[in-house]
Amino acid sequence: MTSNHTPAPSHTQGGPRRAGVMTDVHRRFLQLLMTHGVLEEWDVRRLQKHCYRVHDRTAAVEELEDFINNINSVLESLYIEIKKGATEDDGRPVYALVNLATTSVSKMASDFAENELDLFRKALELIIDSETGFASSTNILNLVDQLKGKKMRKKEAEQVLQKFVQNKWLIEKEGEFTLHSRAILEMEQYIRETYPDAVKICNICHSLLIQGQSCETCGIRMHLPCVAKYFQSNSEPRCPHCNDYWPHEIPEVFDPEKEREAATSRATKRSLRSRQH
Amino acid sequence: MLQKPRSRGRPNSQAERERDWGRGAAEEAPSTSRGAGSSQEARSASSQGSRRAEASPEVGPRSQQQLELKVAELVQFLLIKDQKKIPIKRTDILKHVIGDYKDIFPDLLKLAAERLEYVFGYKLVELEPKSNTYILINTLEPVEEDAEVRGDQGTPTTGLLMIVLGLIFMKGNTIKETEVWDFLRRLGVYPTKKHLVFGDPKKLITEEFVRQRYLEYRRIPHTDPVDYELQWGPRTNLETSKMKVLKFVAKVHNQDPKDWPAQYCEALADEEARARPETSGPAPSS
Repeated sequence: MTSNHTPAPSHTQGGPRRAGVMTDVHRRFLQLLMTHGVLEEWDVRRLQKHCYRVHDRTAAVEELEDFINNINSVLESLYIEIKKGATEDDGRPVYALVNLATTSVSKMASDFAENELDLFRKALELIIDSETGFASSTNILNLVDQLKGKKMRKKEAEQVLQKFVQNKWLIEKEGEFTLHSRAILEMEQYIRETYPDAVKICNICHSLLIQGQSCETCGIRMHLPCVAKYFQSNSEPRCPHCNDYWPHEIPEVFDPEKEREAATSRATKRSLRSRQH
Repeated sequence: MLQKPRSRGRPNSQAERERDWGRGAAEEAPSTSRGAGSSQEARSASSQGSRRAEASPEVGPRSQQQLELKVAELVQFLLIKDQKKIPIKRTDILKHVIGDYKDIFPDLLKLAAERLEYVFGYKLVELEPKSNTYILINTLEPVEEDAEVRGDQGTPTTGLLMIVLGLIFMKGNTIKETEVWDFLRRLGVYPTKKHLVFGDPKKLITEEFVRQRYLEYRRIPHTDPVDYELQWGPRTNLETSKMKVLKFVAKVHNQDPKDWPAQYCEALADEEARARPETSGPAPSS
């Protein structure tokens, strides 16, 4: 009796997990995904559908999670993976292709000069040490004299910070900077290894925490989307660690459907307005 | 009897590198490429692996994981460098990635090339024979709808570059710069005026495209005022073909490629030459 499925993985010396198979659908997906530093889930699905349309119109579009797991099993031997995360402010699911073995060959290192990278590192340290997860522009710029490499003036540093925002390494809010979800996805491992004492961790998901809410009694922290999910439809939110009342406003759980409705209604309003000219 | 090379106090090259994520790509990769002592040992030792392991304990036998990691680094390096569309020099590869693993460089490059093609659909090719510079060619055909889902501008399949490539081919594979501007002026593209889409067209054509090796830009001697000639660069021949460019030109004019018999014949001959089996692969020339 013959079986149709491929043989079970070999068990020699903890041999490699049986890798999936790459087709042109997966390759085009990877190529195009790489052109984005980080991509929201809705756009990732759109990208996936596009790749099927180009190479395999008749096939059923595989469930995104399985599709990505398949690709990741092939990427494993290259020490990279498509990692899923969420934006810290409103819990949107996002994806990025990240480097698992932190080496000097990093995406950021190739786009910026030595002094620019050092500026980022300084900003990163301020962000991690801060209570809110934000570092003010003033505080970052005051460190400009300490940078390695070519001397940088404050005016120049302001532009470099904007470059970081454009390239999705930092987010700016009212003159303060925090890490973009791209940076968190790509650098979580590096950050946890380099700043083990200063780093904050979410009590719920145990991942790196930059922005979040904290219990005023025992000090544990949670991501805003983790708070939203944990206290969903709970009228008396209490700290999971010390059971004291949770004193902060509980945010809404991210709803992709509501988001898309809002986005399309905005687009329709915009097109109606433009047609009136 | 070979003496043990004096270590420059580096503990573990991998651990060191993990802390150096921020180092600019221009800087030398830490430890593995430094230490003249260790590389000398490797060179003076015989080519047989086992003897080298004995003679040069610094190099030593490498684990499967170390090799895998090296190939992974090489793949990432090539992908990142190619994104900027600048040909990758072998010397840069050796300096920033290979380091101590210089002895097995051809194997590492071959493995990296295999992975690049299987996983990403990119083929590693040498820009010109014996040039020791490489580029990645996409084995997947770009599709118009790609533009809607990508995060950057992508390779210029249509637009200014294609127009210039078309001009060059239709004019017999070489054209004077003044002729290029005479033509582009009719499309509202001027060498001295900023363009909404192309920015600085002069810089784009005579610098950017040249640096990316899509075009060759040479001064024509004894011309007054100075004039330059433009031809296809080595990357163009690898990424596209005369037939593809002719088809583009025909499409723009809403005609058939055969309406230009001379160019059509030339394109056909080029297609035939390409169909013959390739003799050169991604392996570097020694």
